[in-house]
Amino acid sequence: MSKPHYDREHHVKKASGIGDPQCFKGEAPEAMFKVGDKVRIKDLPDLFYTRTQGYTRGAEATVTELVYESPPAEDESWDNTENVEWFYSVVFDMKELWPDYPDTFSSDTVETEIPEHYLEAC
Amino acid sequence: MLPPVRQKVMRHLNIVGQLQPALHEQTHAPSPDMIDNAHFRAYTRSAHDVGGEADISITWEEKEEEVWEHNTFVTCEVLAWRGVWNAEERRRRQNVEVGQTIYLGLPYYGRWLLTAAKILVDKQFITATELQEKVAEVRKRYE
Amino acid sequence: MSDDHDHEHEHIHPPAPMVDEVSEFEVLEIAVRELAIEKGLFTQEDHNQWTDYMHTLGPAPAARLVAKAWLDPEYKKLCVEDGVKASLDVNIDWVNTMPTKFGTPSDYCNLRVMEDTPTLKHVVVCTLCSCYPRPILGQSPEWYRTPNYRRRIVRWPRQVMAEFGLQLPEDVEIRVVDSNQKSRMIVLPVRPEGTEGWTEDQLAEIVTRDCLIGVAVPKPGVTNNAKRPVRKAVNPYKH
Repeated sequence: MSKPHYDREHHVKKASGIGDPQCFKGEAPEAMFKVGDKVRIKDLPDLFYTRTQGYTRGAEATVTELVYESPPAEDESWDNTENVEWFYSVVFDMKELWPDYPDTFSSDTVETEIPEHYLEAC
Repeated sequence: MLPPVRQKVMRHLNIVGQLQPALHEQTHAPSPDMIDNAHFRAYTRSAHDVGGEADISITWEEKEEEVWEHNTFVTCEVLAWRGVWNAEERRRRQNVEVGQTIYLGLPYYGRWLLTAAKILVDKQFITATELQEKVAEVRKRYE
Repeated sequence: MSDDHDHEHEHIHPPAPMVDEVSEFEVLEIAVRELAIEKGLFTQEDHNQWTDYMHTLGPAPAARLVAKAWLDPEYKKLCVEDGVKASLDVNIDWVNTMPTKFGTPSDYCNLRVMEDTPTLKHVVVCTLCSCYPRPILGQSPEWYRTPNYRRRIVRWPRQVMAEFGLQLPEDVEIRVVDSNQKSRMIVLPVRPEGTEGWTEDQLAEIVTRDCLIGVAVPKPGVTNNAKRPVRKAVNPYKH
């Protein structure tokens, strides 16, 4: 088996003076969702690596911001940065996530960021 | 500083809080028919994905940093600066691929350190033999 | 730049007989660093430069950002709309301050400032690891990294916040912000009563690291994080 060659400069070349995720700006296809949309988190198979938390799967949320474009962490983790997508900040009601959350504090919420391919309209 | 009896009481409470019955399920590579999908999901779970799991109330602590912890953090960031890996590769390896036992068994920065050593071997920048010989040589310096 | 200056609290010492002379951790750390340098992956100078950069970090810039936002509604709007741009006003350049010139590898370049209101209180966690806005806030505290905090805050926030000494009324929405991707968050707390006519310096002084994470709220006269035990290191790093 021969040794692979690693291009250790590709990220510094792309992002120097620009920043990350700024360096991926403009590379994603048109965003599928907009602020205010109700979305559901898809329970895609959690094989090997994910940054879409288990506790969000199958739950409904509201999009509050289109935060940036970036390769999803699941791809970036293997240095596959060709497929860039929009990331969304979404807000869940605590009651939606945790059935036993006390009614007294029913306005409490969780906000987190999810890449587009984990979202579906609802 | 608590009086001696109160220290004993607090220590006792901390220890008995850890006494729990355990239903041992022996597992030595079961056959497929013995593993349902829920167990498949549990065993293949990403160890880092802990949000929403139950846990006890603990004393929140600050901590002094060890010399080796500081150096480990710097090494990991500099390896990324110089393109050996990116932070996401590091997180996958350090927070998931170390496995459930190491995840909860070793210190936080212990995983950073093991992962930094592993990336050098995995990407063939060093051989495992070189690493083992270097570790032995460094240890000798302290004998 | 340590932010746990308050040492009038319990120190937890490692049990001396159980600790070996030189730990496997220390040995492996040296081995990895020396091998990486021998193989030309980075230089000792690189390592020193990053250490020097880490020495510049602490919660002061984030505290100043909050103080400025309290004094200037236009700046507060900028903080909420563009945290990276707002950081420049407190001399933090998320892209260029650090040696990489592309941000820090672990903290990226997307600061989000979460604005509290009288009916909305934010608290930050990274349930998956311990992502933290280091360039503007310094190193994360030990408790923030624990599986315990990461497990519980996102499901039982009021209980956990009460353990930190913070209880909020029913009509306040608690929003737990789970920084699981490339954004890094600080909390912009509500300016407390009793600070009328204060200078920027006076205001910044009461915005502690714990306030910026969201487990505390700023109070006149309180300029330190709450007292809690400090676990001593076997071989502590000194700045």
